[in-house]
Amino acid sequence: MTKHISRRALLASVPALGGFLLTGCSRETFLPPRVRGGLIGAADVLTMSTNRLLLSGQQLAREYSRSEIADPFPTWNQTNPKNAEYQLHASEGFKNWRLPISGLVARPRELSLDELKGLPARTQITAHICEQGWSAIGEWTGAPLQRVIEEAGGVTPAARYVVIDTWDGWYEGYDLFEVAHAQTILAYGLNGGELPRGNGWPLRLRVERQCGYKNLKFLKSIRVVDSMAGIGRGTGGTNSDFGFHWYAGV
Amino acid sequence: MPASAHSYNVRICHWINLVACVYLLWSGIHILLDFPELYWGNTGYRGYPAAFRLADLGLSWDDAGRLGDRRWGRNYHFTFAWVFLINGLIYVAWNLYSKHFREQMLTAKPASNGGYGTLQRTAYLVLIFVFVPFMILTGIAQSPGFTAAMPWLLDMFGGRQSARTLHTIATVALVLFVVGHVFQVAAAGFVTKVRSMITG
Repeated sequence: MTKHISRRALLASVPALGGFLLTGCSRETFLPPRVRGGLIGAADVLTMSTNRLLLSGQQLAREYSRSEIADPFPTWNQTNPKNAEYQLHASEGFKNWRLPISGLVARPRELSLDELKGLPARTQITAHICEQGWSAIGEWTGAPLQRVIEEAGGVTPAARYVVIDTWDGWYEGYDLFEVAHAQTILAYGLNGGELPRGNGWPLRLRVERQCGYKNLKFLKSIRVVDSMAGIGRGTGGTNSDFGFHWYAGV
Repeated sequence: MPASAHSYNVRICHWINLVACVYLLWSGIHILLDFPELYWGNTGYRGYPAAFRLADLGLSWDDAGRLGDRRWGRNYHFTFAWVFLINGLIYVAWNLYSKHFREQMLTAKPASNGGYGTLQRTAYLVLIFVFVPFMILTGIAQSPGFTAAMPWLLDMFGGRQSARTLHTIATVALVLFVVGHVFQVAAAGFVTKVRSMITG
């Protein structure tokens, strides 16, 4: 009897999986841009593909109550990029700065901070989970990355990754599955106020299903590409260039 | 074949498991040293009230950080977690199929006849079916990806930081179990017992 029910449940999951595979999910959804060799590479693939199958419904990461917010939110690593251009824009309150969205989009364009704030916003109280082991809850407000890319006409059919560069010289690639997630936002607000400089002012990325190091601070530009090869060391991001996992869901 | 002989499956899985556990322990220590404090609940960061601080035991945050390499640690921890899991699933599936559990673990047999004693059987069953799942679940309850898919993991352990703390406490308990296990083997005749786990 038990066997019968579990078989039926299994069959019921087939169309769900099929729907997932049909909604634009390809190699990039399950494998890192460059698969490492040996057992470590095999484990990378197992981890990422298992996560992506479990998250095929694009479930939201847990959202918490206001009472659990860390205020002030802890700062870690870079808190004020030395980059001269960043400092110049900072002295002007980023009034004269534009976020470029370039590459494989229908209409490459630049958006000012005010234009970003004018887009439909999302506010989410989520946990920032650092790969070192710490975690803290913050209330992030920002524009969904998918929506921002739509402002540039959306991605072209050849697009595979969205690359984000920062003022302190970091870059990371994100596959379109991650970009499409509702909680993937460009945050300009934290805990009801403006994003503090130590937390990435004026703009930081939130990817709530991955570790802290994928949540870049001090965003400088966005470009859409068909491959991560030829960018940095070609592994898909600064962190993976250093030997960390590209997919940071664990 | 003597009554105490171990099957191929038990032997192969045992030694793969040993390698995986050594790597898991060593890489886990590296990860912990990189952030040498434990907390309770969902929140925990430097400056937040901690349940345990390595600094209280005399090893400062910076000294601990110099000893631990989390890049190495994370790469190997998550690699050998898969080796451990897959090896464990093969072990359990094979022994359910071959009735090893039923014949050796669930049926009382006099120890003099090569069977496991009651305490031994209970210890191994609790280890395999309670302790190991607990380690795996407290491990993935720290993962932002797995917890987005299975948020009940957070409720199960009272939060991400609680899961990290329980994962660490369980590691200490597991190390103590292994010390006990090796001590038992030594008491029962180390050479003979280890040989039986190698050659059958």
